Amino acid sequence: MERSKAFATALVSVLLGGGALALAGFALASAAPHQQAQVCQPTTPGNCSLTISSFPDSLAGEHGKDGGAHPDWVSYSNFNLVAKANTTVTMTINQYDSGGTLNNKAFFGRVWGTTGGTAQYMIPTAAGADTPVQTLSKVDPTNIGHTFTLRGIPGNGSPLFVSVPLPASPSTNSVTVGDSTYGSPVKVTFSFKVGGPGVYEWNCEYPCGGSREGQFGYAMSSFGYMSGTLTVK
Amino acid sequence: MAMTPKKEKLTGIYISTFIMTVLGVVIGIYGPSRLMPRSMSDNMHLSILTIVVFTVAAAPVAAGVYAVSLHALRHWTHRGDDVPAPAADQTREHPVLVTSWVLASTLLTVFLLVWGLGALSVDNGGVGRNPLVVDVTGQQWLWTFSYPGSNVQSPTLVLPEGRTVEFHITALDVTHGFWIANMGVQIDANVGTTTEIHTTPNALGTFDIRCTQFCGLNHAYMVTTGTVVTKDKFAQWLASQSTKA
Repeated sequence: MERSKAFATALVSVLLGGGALALAGFALASAAPHQQAQVCQPTTPGNCSLTISSFPDSLAGEHGKDGGAHPDWVSYSNFNLVAKANTTVTMTINQYDSGGTLNNKAFFGRVWGTTGGTAQYMIPTAAGADTPVQTLSKVDPTNIGHTFTLRGIPGNGSPLFVSVPLPASPSTNSVTVGDSTYGSPVKVTFSFKVGGPGVYEWNCEYPCGGSREGQFGYAMSSFGYMSGTLTVK
Repeated sequence: MAMTPKKEKLTGIYISTFIMTVLGVVIGIYGPSRLMPRSMSDNMHLSILTIVVFTVAAAPVAAGVYAVSLHALRHWTHRGDDVPAPAADQTREHPVLVTSWVLASTLLTVFLLVWGLGALSVDNGGVGRNPLVVDVTGQQWLWTFSYPGSNVQSPTLVLPEGRTVEFHITALDVTHGFWIANMGVQIDANVGTTTEIHTTPNALGTFDIRCTQFCGLNHAYMVTTGTVVTKDKFAQWLASQSTKA
């Protein structure tokens, strides 16, 4: 009798513990940010285009006009990117933020993995006027707003590494995006080819998160701000 | 007339010890090479060999402990509230057994110590002539590699087969861990200092380079691919990358 009682108690404890863990898992999963997919729009057969932005705050992106939980955190406008397998993705990033110096100047100041190893840059004047587009393979690493750095997750996609530095915007004029105003953006366009289906992870490699060692805290250490995924289907 | 207690037979312990020793030796010989990553360097070969030798050496000791434990659980368990009287046939003094146990344990421990120091000495030995130096930089959440003497940088690691490689490793933000499982290479990457480790790739193929220090949000994705190629192909790759830089 004593043994069966002890066994029943142990069994109930294990079941209750497992249930508590499962509930915690479900709660965490549902609390994780779920963002609407930004799908690469087909342009010509085998090609598609995708446009996102990087902002000095979270007021103009998918966090909503109130900026969500951390309106003052830097953010990309979208972090759930989707593209069709075996297509060439042409990506345009409107970079509204100011910037500084990269940790790894020589490496992340370069353009990696794009078609031709270059990207097209339109850096506005301080007054916000457009300037001629430049095709560059590297930029000044001491004046970077963010980087878009994309890489494969081993075993979960074809090999892919793309990294494009996004210069800081020098603009001091005001343009309206949603309910917010920023300076005119630096416009960076580049293309890269995706292979078979898989999930790729991307993030910013400019230390823009503040706090903690290396300035990789806050927005850099939370999903949905300066990192996201590219899902190739 | 007092009854002579029946001497307990311990044959079961001896048989269990023998069976589990054989099992341990078989697992020790065949397990590591199947469970561990494919060896692609002398360091990794030595690591696997060390695990084999240590497992085989430990097998009889572990088997003896398990056999006695299982026997005790099965035969020496008392159920009920009353405390049983001590067994009449306890072995209280057995100099031969004690001496044998101490001697065997000492010899085994000394052997493991000597083997371990020898393996460590080989692992930390000189890098020989003309090592290929590769500068490794860890940062959240990427490894980057540069090859001094050229202007080549790369997000992936390419190494020539049969040439000793000396890694100079550092970090830019927080502590990372540079780990190539296939080559038995693992060392911390620290901010503001350079750590060094060397290996000699001896097999062609690809491998993963992972971070072993929890370093933040995308630590799990801080994995990069490496490749060992022939010396000729390596020279071609280096030349092609130089022209890109």
